[in-house]
Formats: sequence, structure tokens, C-alpha cells
Amino acid sequence: MGKGMEHRAGAVMVVGGGIAGVQAALDLTELGYYVYLVEKSAVVGGVMAQLDKTFPTNDCSL
Amino acid sequence: MSDEFNPRILGFLCNWCCYAAADAAGVSRFQYPPNLRTIRVMCTGRVDPSFILRGFIEGADGIFTGG
Amino acid sequence: MLTNADLQALEGNAGDFTAKIRQRPRYIDADACTACGLCTQYCPRHHVDPYNEGLSVTRPIHIDYAQAVPATYYIDPSSCLHLQHDTCQICVPVCQSHAIDFSQKPKEIELNVGAVILAPGFGRIDQSTLAKFGYGSHPDVVTSFEFERMTTASGPFMGEVKCFSDGRHPKRIAFIQCVGSRDLGCDNGYCSSVCCMYAIKEAMVAKEHDPEVDITIYYMDIRTQGKEFDKAQQRAEAMGIKFVRAKVGDITPWQNRLQLTYSTLEGGHEFEPFDLVVLSVGFESPRDARGIADITGIELNHYNFAKSETFQPLATNRDGVIVAGAFQGPKDIPESVTQASAAAGIAAGLLEKQRGQGIIHKDYPEEKTDTDEPRIGVFVCHCGINISSVVDVHQVEDSVADMEGVVYHTDSLYSCSQDAVETLKKTIIAHNLNRVVIAACSPRTHEPLFQETLKDAGLNPCLVEMVNIRDQCSWVHAGEPDAATDKSQDLVRMAVAKARKLKPLPAQTVPVTSRALIVGGGIAGMVVALTMAEQGFESVLLEKEKTLGGNLGLLNHTLSSSETAGYLKKLVARVKKNRKIDVLTSAEIVQTSGFIGNFSSVVATTVGKKQEEHTIDHGVVILATGGHEHRPDGYLLGKNSRVLTQQELEKRLAGRAKNRAPDSVVMIQCAGSRGDDLNYCSKVCCNHAVKNALKIKEINPDSQVIVLYRDMRTYGYAEDAYREARLKGVVFIPYELENKPEVYEKGRRLHVKFFDSLLQEEVDLTPDLLALSVGIVPDGTEELSKLLKAPLTDDKFFLEAHVKLRPVELPVDGVYVCGLAHGPKPVDETIAQAQAAAAKAAIPLVKGSVSVDPIVSSVDEKTCIGCGLCVSLCPFSAIEMIKVEKKRKARTIAASCKACGICASHCPTFAISMGGFTNEQINAQIEAFGRATKKETAEV
Repeated sequence: MGKGMEHRAGAVMVVGGGIAGVQAALDLTELGYYVYLVEKSAVVGGVMAQLDKTFPTNDCSL
Repeated sequence: MSDEFNPRILGFLCNWCCYAAADAAGVSRFQYPPNLRTIRVMCTGRVDPSFILRGFIEGADGIFTGG
Repeated sequence: MLTNADLQALEGNAGDFTAKIRQRPRYIDADACTACGLCTQYCPRHHVDPYNEGLSVTRPIHIDYAQAVPATYYIDPSSCLHLQHDTCQICVPVCQSHAIDFSQKPKEIELNVGAVILAPGFGRIDQSTLAKFGYGSHPDVVTSFEFERMTTASGPFMGEVKCFSDGRHPKRIAFIQCVGSRDLGCDNGYCSSVCCMYAIKEAMVAKEHDPEVDITIYYMDIRTQGKEFDKAQQRAEAMGIKFVRAKVGDITPWQNRLQLTYSTLEGGHEFEPFDLVVLSVGFESPRDARGIADITGIELNHYNFAKSETFQPLATNRDGVIVAGAFQGPKDIPESVTQASAAAGIAAGLLEKQRGQGIIHKDYPEEKTDTDEPRIGVFVCHCGINISSVVDVHQVEDSVADMEGVVYHTDSLYSCSQDAVETLKKTIIAHNLNRVVIAACSPRTHEPLFQETLKDAGLNPCLVEMVNIRDQCSWVHAGEPDAATDKSQDLVRMAVAKARKLKPLPAQTVPVTSRALIVGGGIAGMVVALTMAEQGFESVLLEKEKTLGGNLGLLNHTLSSSETAGYLKKLVARVKKNRKIDVLTSAEIVQTSGFIGNFSSVVATTVGKKQEEHTIDHGVVILATGGHEHRPDGYLLGKNSRVLTQQELEKRLAGRAKNRAPDSVVMIQCAGSRGDDLNYCSKVCCNHAVKNALKIKEINPDSQVIVLYRDMRTYGYAEDAYREARLKGVVFIPYELENKPEVYEKGRRLHVKFFDSLLQEEVDLTPDLLALSVGIVPDGTEELSKLLKAPLTDDKFFLEAHVKLRPVELPVDGVYVCGLAHGPKPVDETIAQAQAAAAKAAIPLVKGSVSVDPIVSSVDEKTCIGCGLCVSLCPFSAIEMIKVEKKRKARTIAASCKACGICASHCPTFAISMGGFTNEQINAQIEAFGRATKKETAEV
């Protein structure tokens, strides 16, 4: 397969579903890209979800 | 217990803070007396003084605005 | 979204990667699971709950927390009886939606992607390090993560702080900082950059729970260098939380308490008893960092975090692989969010040609025209047992039967489940419903879902009204089912009354001018312009000076010894060469109007004596106006030639003067900062001082360099340089704000007098040079703040829309901030922030139009008397005055309106109405409340 522009895949893979990964994925979808969010555990949210006072509802609507 | 004062309170809750806080109270299962009936508004800036007067006319014992 | 998934391999090149993923089974069909929780109730096996840091037990089949995404239960195979011992399977018949599937096998997935963003987070400090502080051997030594779960109201102890040894409430709590950080004993020479903040937060939370509790934080340096962080620390002190600069040597059980042994700066040993000791554990590199590096081919640094470089902080050595978050280096939430957006912007730049491919567009049926006759359908949700275990759902549902306009009512087990939503859609069509009331959970979370369903059913999305009988009823009145049912009925009746008056509202969109205006041509502004250009967007870059470059031109090298001049030259050249960037120098913005997508600004430029004005149309504004060194009084700066700022010293050291690094140099940190003239910490000065001190030692190893400091805030990897400076003989002596060093002249000599806390005596020195770390003040933020109506902090930096989650956006839509205009920060953070601002600013440009929530104000021109009260009250400048047939009338700028309703509640003629919250609708709700009240009074 050639490496010309036409062959470029228009998707982005984000590894890690913590706050950084989720934010990157959300921004990318808003910027017009398809995103694969790959998370090793069963839920996204990471450590931030464990925090008491800073944790707002980070609704991840991919 | 019917002679106990059981006020009926009308509440105007701001969607962004007080309504959200009321949701959060639910998520945390905080218990509070069931006397409040609420109306959601996008901001307590929306609450026209006439709403409050009307609330009292309609028989509210107290009006709560949370925002 | 692929959860339970591990990256196995990454082949190919930037733009064309093939990733191999292995997805472990969940054993539950995610589409069928309704998250009712019945399975967890029946599961007989216990499972230690890692979500609660092991402080509680759950079952192998569970969900981590109620708001988890995906909202699907899963089975942890490590403790499931069936998966371990081939028995049990109780859950299978229990599940009413037949979602449990033990036949699931791991899946191999291959993805074709153009770019990869690595954000695996951080790891935990090793147990052996914690064991040195008695963790594991004494139950009342806990980690800060455990303490966090303990203080959480929804946590395992409902927010109750107690000792594990005997369940008593602790009277005295100690926090120990730098556990696993700044500690070569565990190979973590870096500072984790977050522990000081969370320790202060947790201490304050604990104090709120129990004001009597006595809390002491033992620290080396308090590193609250972030924006507004010092103020939180001051609040903590005001609450009575004690801060003690000391190194904790030992923790030993003593009676039923813990005895802390610590040594203070003066060399004294002290003992102090505590009930509970919290270890402020640092960040470790992710446990599988090595594996990630091997799979993706990226390099790690000597601490096993991703290796990065000052001028490209998020790039790795492999093209197309970008890193963000704590894996890039220990950092807090706003920094992580910033880097994430920046990474998204970089990826978007790499794949500019592919934008929009693979995004699925959805079609909706045409909207039915609205008829006046309301046909209301009421749907009451059981939410499994969440609502129906308290509220009598059928009684609520039946109570609306007699209400005017209600033509259909029913209940449903889960209104939001996929099949229920489908049924809702069919019901709307079958019964020709034109208003829908859903009594379930919160509209804040579920209204968008039901609005979507209405659109699918050919109705305007604004014709749904939700009633929250779960979060605000069944959950909070669990012990009073009758009262809760009564409340639910009233709320539903109020909603039906409102629903009768609901009106369809048109979705509004406003086209966007596809151009950015960037104010400030320093490094931040230039990086924004280039990142925008890479994504295919034009920008106009304004610089008030004659040349681009800003503060970076004043630096010589960075702490990680990257040379700045060469980078700056290249950056300026790239900006000038780029055809998508229009540079205006000697330029200032004089006027700006409009709103997101449609700004128009007037820019004045000066060429020689000629002044010109340009009008620029733009869709977004990015503020990168920078800052400059503060010039404090009281240190003879500008009065004595021996006194320099750190920036001036850097320039001198880079020169060729023979005596540029003299034999005795004193540096004073926080000269004019942190409660001196400026109230805040400028974040970069400690690094700057260490950098210059090392340079002096390099040029003249015999030079005696003394740094007088409050807290050395060499956070992150800069801690390495701080350690190196100490090893090379630079002397660091702390001072207190109340006892500042005194600078004076006597004859031709310059004197610095200070209290040496190590020797415990007054010292008077006559250095050859005195370098002041003076802090940073922002440039021109006040003028811009007025022009754009963008708020500032007390310290005159721009205030972001949300400190944690929207760090580069301002509360005014379409306006973004980065660099020193946001707050003092070093070069690498500025670059990442600029990239993030560029990514965020590109979003409206990508969309091409701004859609406006239909809940906006609208003015009835007939009743409007043109008084202008609303214009002066609107906090978002979303109302303007126009001339209609020679009369002044108010008009809403829908794109700027935030629906607060202040205009509507103040309009003297009730000419302003709020979409979805009209006077008529709210009055109908109040009247319905009244009818219920009268009914009740009649009953009594």
C-alpha cells in the first residue's frame, strides 16, 4: 500500500480513558475525526472519577 | 399528627447550580423533608418577582430560590 | 469506545498506523444491560473494590460507580465463582434482560488510524516506599487516595473520617508530603507537582467534616505554584491547618496512637502524637510504561515517563504518536486537560486532509407542524427499583388521567433503555402525541436523549418536559413513600400544566467566519497561529511591538538547556512564511464587536508616523498577550547597579564580560511576589534562579551563590536541577514573609541582611551581585477585558471558563486564552497551552456554523418600549438596541444569549420571553402547585 495522502486513515486512536484521554477524544470528535478510545479497565474516567471534590459529571458521549 | 405544621414550599432552582446540587443530593442519598415542590429555571435571574407573589397567592407557605 | 482493551502492537507510520487491540470479555452484553443492579444483589461472592481503594467490598459482577461510562456492569473474572470454579451462575437467570453471557471470548481487533495519542496516566508508588512510613504495618497510616475515598460523601464511609484500628474519629491528623517524590531512595527524584494541592484540599475537607480536628501538614516546600493555588493555601491556614517545614523520620505506634518523629530545619528532633497519618503519595510512571514504550516504539526518560522536549512538549520520537497527561510528566487536572486538547489539535493538524471522514451524519424526519390542541403523553419511569421502591408509580401515572390534554399515560421499567426509547417513539406516532412529559430522573442528564427521540418521531425537541422523581424525590425521601408519591404527583401535574403551554422552538444556527484573530506575537501567539494553519485555518496575528518574539527573545536557554535563540528564529521564519498567517506588527486592537463566529475588530497599526486602521472579520479570538517582569520597590532595583532581575542576570551571564559571574552572588526569591506587592506565585522564578545559579557555577565554580527563598518550587523534573545546584554548592536558605531580607547601601557597598534560619542568627552580606526573582505581571489584560467583556482574576489574569475542565476557554464564547495572559508559566507549558487554545478555537471553525440552544430570550417588538434596561443588565452583551420604524427596540443576539432570563424578569412591560421558560409556562406551573395545595388543605 502506498503512503500517499489518499491512503491516510482519518481516525485517531487514544490510548487511556482517564481525563486526558477522554478530553482528547471529545475534542477530536468535535474537530471532525473518528476516535477509538482504548481503555484497559471496564470504565472510562480514570483516577479523576475517584476524587471527591473535583469530580463533575464527565459524560463521555462518543 | 395532622395538626403538625406541614409547610408547602415552592422552589425555583437554577439549572446550573441549585438544581444540579439537588441532583447531587439524590446521588448521595441525603434525606430531607418532602415539603418542597420545585420549578426548574435556567438561572434564578429568570425569577420575576411576580412569580414569587403568585406563589404566595396560590397558597405557598414559603418560597425558596436557589441559584 | 473500547473498554477492557489492551494495545498489543502498533505498526505503520504517521497517517497510516495499524493497531492491534485485544479486548477482554465483560461477560455482559453491553447493549442489553440496563444497569439495574439486580445481578450485584444476587451475586454471592465478595470482591475487594479497587474503586474505593480497597476500603470496601463489592461483588465480582458490579459497576464501579453510578455515573460510570459505559453504564454497563461487568464481571471481574478474578473472583467470579463461575469463571474460577465453573459453578454458580446465579446471575444468569436473575438478569431480566438476559444480558449475562459467559460464552464471551477475548476479541482481537485491528484498527486503521492516522495518529495515536497516548494518555495512560500514572502509576502508584511502590508498597516498599510506603512501608518506610509504617503503611501496611499500622492500620492508621493511610494513603491520600484512601483518605480521598474516606472523605467522599458517596464513598464507602459516607464521608466519615475514622481510624481503621478501632473506628474512632481522629482528633489529630498528620499529612506527610513527598512520599515517593523528591526521594532518590525510590529513584523518584522528581516532584509529583500535585500532592501539595490535594493534601491542602483533603485537609480542608476533613476540617469541614469536623471543625475540631487538628491537622498538621509536614512538608519540605509548599508547592502551590499554580494559578490561584496560593490563595487556597492561605485559606487552609486561616481554617487553622498547621504547616510545619520538617522531614518526618519515623512513625511508631505509641499507646493506641502514632508517634511521629521529625527533624526541623534548625536540626532539632521533635515528637508528636497523632491518631491518623495520611501519606501524600506521589505519581509513579505507569506500571506498564515499559510495555507501552516497546509496543509504540517511543522513548522514555530516566524516570520511565515519556521522553519529551521543551519546544515540542507532546511529541514523541515516533511521528504521529503524541503523548498527553501524567504520562508526559506528573501534572494536575487542568494541565492534563490542556495537554489533551493540545494533543487533539496536533493530531488534527496531522490529518487535516481527512477531517470529516468517518463521522456519521444523522437524518431526522421532517417536523410536524404544531397544532394548538395539546395531546399530552405522560410516561412514568420505575428506573428499575430506584423510583418504584419508594414512589407508587402506578398511582402517579393514574393521577394524571383526568388532566386536561392528557391523552395517553403509561409506565416503563427503564424509560432510557434502548427498547423503551423505541417504544416511546412508536407511541408518539401511534397516538399522535404532540407534548411529552417524562417523569424519571434529571433533565440535566437525560433531556438530550428524549429530545433526540422526539426529533426521531417528527416532533420539535422542545416539546418534552421532564420531571425528576428520582434524584429529587425517591432517593431523598426513601423513608417516606406516601409523601414521596404525593410529591411526585404534584411535580408531574405541574409539568403537565407547563407542557400544555409548551411551544416548538426553531433550532437556530449562525454561520462562522473561518478566520482567527490572535492577539500577541510571542511564543504563545505564534504557536497558536501555526497550529491553526496546520489544521487549515487562516489567522491574523497581532503584535504590539515591531517584531515577533515576545519574552522568549529575552531568554538565552531553558532549564533543560535547550537553546532558545535558534528555536525562536525558526519559529518566526515559519510564521512569516506561512501563507495562512497574516502578521500585523506595531498593531493594537482598538475595537471589537460581535459574537462567536461573527466577530469584527478594528486594528490600528503604526508604520513610521503613519497610522492605519484595519477592519478584520473573524470567527474566534485567541488572547496571547503575554506579560513582563515585575519591578518591585524596596530592593534598590534600578537604583544600584549591582541589583539585577533574573532576566537581566541571564543576559549578563550569556555575554562575554570577564566578571559576569562574580565571586559572591545573592538571589532573593519572591521579591515582590506572594504577598509582597503581587499576591501570587509566578511559577517560573525558582526554576529561573536555579538555572542562573547553575550557570554561575559553570562559569565560576568558586563563586558563592546564596539563594534566599520562601519555598523552592522546582516542581516536576526541575527538581533534578535544584538537587544539582545544591550538590554544586549553591546555598539555599529559607525566609519568612514577615522577616524579609533587607537590602541597603552603605558607602559603595551593597548589603543584604537576613535571618539565617539554619544558623538561627542574623547575617549581613555584601555581595557583588544581587539577583531578584521578581515575578510576572500580565500585559494589557484590562483593556482587552473591557473590549471583550471577558472577566479577569484579582491578579489581572484572564479568568478561564472552568478552572479544571475548560482551562483555555473564556466565559465569553469564541474567546480563548493561552500563555502568560492566563497565568505565569514556563515555556513548555505555554506551548502546550497554545496548542490547546488552537484546537479549541478550531472547533467552531470546523463546524462552520454555531448552533444556538433554542432556550434564548426573545423580544416582542410590539410591547417593547425601548427603555434599554435589558441591554444594561445583560451580563453577556446578548441584547442590542435597534431602530424599527424610527423607534428604539431591543433585540436578542441569539448566539450570545445564555438563557439566564435576567432580561425577562426585569422587563417592565413583560415584552421579553424565554424559550421553554415563558411567563405563561412558569405561571401554569405555579397555578398547578396552587391547585395541589388547595386540594391538600381541603383534605386536612
